[in-house]
Amino acid sequence: MTVPATSLTAEFFPSRTARVVQYLRHLRWAKVVPLLVLTLVALTSPLLLRFDPEVVVGPSSQAPDGTYWFGTDSSGLDIFSRTLAATRLNLTIALVVTVAATTIGCIVGLVIGMNESRRGPVGWVSRGAARLVDLVEAIPAVLTGLVIIAFFGVSTGTLMIALSVVLAPIQIRLVRTEVLRVRSEAYLDAARSGGQSELGLTLRHVLPNSISSAVENCSVIFAVAIIVTAALGFVGAGVAPPTPEWGAMLARGASDATVGRWWPAAFPAFALGLTIAAVSVGFNELLRRRRA
Amino acid sequence: MTSIALTPAEKPLRAAGTDAPEKSTRSSHSVLRYLHRNRWWITRVLALPVHVFVFVVLTFLLVRSMPGDPIRAMLGQNYTPESYAAMQERMGLNGTMFQQLTSYLHGIVNLDLGESIVNGRPVIDELQTRLPATLELALLGLGLSILLSIAASYIAVFHHRSVIAHIIRGYARAAGAVPEYVLAVAGILLFYATLQIVPAPMGRLDVDEIAPPTTTGFPLVDALLAGRPDAFWSTLAHLALPVVVMCAAHSALLIRVLVSALDKEADATATRFRIASGASTRTVVKSIYRRAAPASVTMAGTLFGYLLGGTVILETLFGLSGMGKYALDAVNSGDVVVMQGFLLTVATLSLLVFLLVDVTNMLIDPRRRPGVRTEG
Repeated sequence: MTVPATSLTAEFFPSRTARVVQYLRHLRWAKVVPLLVLTLVALTSPLLLRFDPEVVVGPSSQAPDGTYWFGTDSSGLDIFSRTLAATRLNLTIALVVTVAATTIGCIVGLVIGMNESRRGPVGWVSRGAARLVDLVEAIPAVLTGLVIIAFFGVSTGTLMIALSVVLAPIQIRLVRTEVLRVRSEAYLDAARSGGQSELGLTLRHVLPNSISSAVENCSVIFAVAIIVTAALGFVGAGVAPPTPEWGAMLARGASDATVGRWWPAAFPAFALGLTIAAVSVGFNELLRRRRA
Repeated sequence: MTSIALTPAEKPLRAAGTDAPEKSTRSSHSVLRYLHRNRWWITRVLALPVHVFVFVVLTFLLVRSMPGDPIRAMLGQNYTPESYAAMQERMGLNGTMFQQLTSYLHGIVNLDLGESIVNGRPVIDELQTRLPATLELALLGLGLSILLSIAASYIAVFHHRSVIAHIIRGYARAAGAVPEYVLAVAGILLFYATLQIVPAPMGRLDVDEIAPPTTTGFPLVDALLAGRPDAFWSTLAHLALPVVVMCAAHSALLIRVLVSALDKEADATATRFRIASGASTRTVVKSIYRRAAPASVTMAGTLFGYLLGGTVILETLFGLSGMGKYALDAVNSGDVVVMQGFLLTVATLSLLVFLLVDVTNMLIDPRRRPGVRTEG
């Protein structure tokens, strides 16, 4: 009697260790490895550099060869070192923005969603905020980001704040939609009749049940953050010039491209594309729901 | 919303003549009835000024929340108390907060967005000459994307076994992975620098060509109006690469949304019903497209925003004069007044597009009109 019972328990309620093992065993490593390599490169990039990325190290516009693996740009900076060094900055910005936008999205989405049908000023404010989120989302992110940065000055910090503010509405809307769905579920009434406070109920039941779509959307937010960061760098409103950044490198490479030199723009472009692909594939694989 | 539904069931009842209005009040009744019946789009249109007002206040607050003293930053070396006061006046930063807001609003109602701090030219004049050119670029990109996605989705959904369908679905899955500036640089390298099949990325016309006189502001339309087919084709050739780049970078999103909506609708009960009642293939396909349209129309609206954002980059890269370049110059010279006007213009444009999207969707699918109750 006990033997099948324990095996049943083990099957349906596996221990934490068993769950982790199960999770790791079903992971498709081919999809996760690029993400891990990318993270590793970002963490160890100072060790991998061949030259100082901010100093002129060779002849200008040198085609890729044994010394300058990716060539040099029109001022003689080593493109390999700059591309690698930029990985850390671009990934950090995107990561911070993703976390910040999602956190803001969860908090604001929960507050708006839970209070929207209330009477009185709280309800009005919530409904107004919900409309405002829709409105802000209507404006292209690049343009709002550009203007915010122009107003508050160019720095990595402002860049992160601006992008978080611009991208948060997407997450807010996702969370809010889910909260509105979850709110009518019977288990909330059950918890209420069990005497749980409204705040406890929100944190214990509504939050975990309503953030999944926003969390899954993180890879999209990450990709958009990378693209917009590079776009702002491209138009010269991102990180200040000598600092290696893919967008700024691309912009410099664009003038080289018109005269037929492909390497100054190609390598940061590849880095950008590979990063976006690695992150979206890897992240989706990590979050994939596994059918046992 | 507050309105109470005019359900489909009520309509025939009214048409049957339960309310026969008196002759004297008929005209006013019919106006009221017209308004009542078209509530769905009238209320939506009336909401637009409110939404614009929200953005006016938002941009107003954004400028006021700039860190430090923007006036001093603007003046730099030229600081004197008199110049400070003059600059304060020009930037609309004098008086109390409420006075600033009312004068700002007063200006906007009179279509006055202030004057550029850098060169003193009225922002609205600049926008008037630059906005049409940018709109033309974005609309060309949008139009081509829409055409492309309709054709591509047809192949992907209705010829789903073909090789092309697989390629299209693969392309749609990669939506948004390669930003447009990367494609633009690649395009310049390949088609201009290497193959030399597109003109130099410097402006809408070759250097030795004379621009046609400005009448509408849209370069292509102006060329046609002036009877200058040479200028028209030259401009089109210059715009070809940027438009193709826009399309390649963004149409995948639209195709993905359209294909997934079509996949769903092709399998819906309504489709089976049409096939079962013997409708022609053409009718069935049309009905599937109509039911799949709303999601794609919304996406097309979003896409327009992306394209508009993209023009900032493309105009710089291809040397096209337009609003994007204007905004970028303002950003680089810290011209607050121009940026304020630019943000407001973009916001208004986006809101207009979303109004259009909403109304189109309500036209295509009456169930989307506010207050309509549906069964099931």
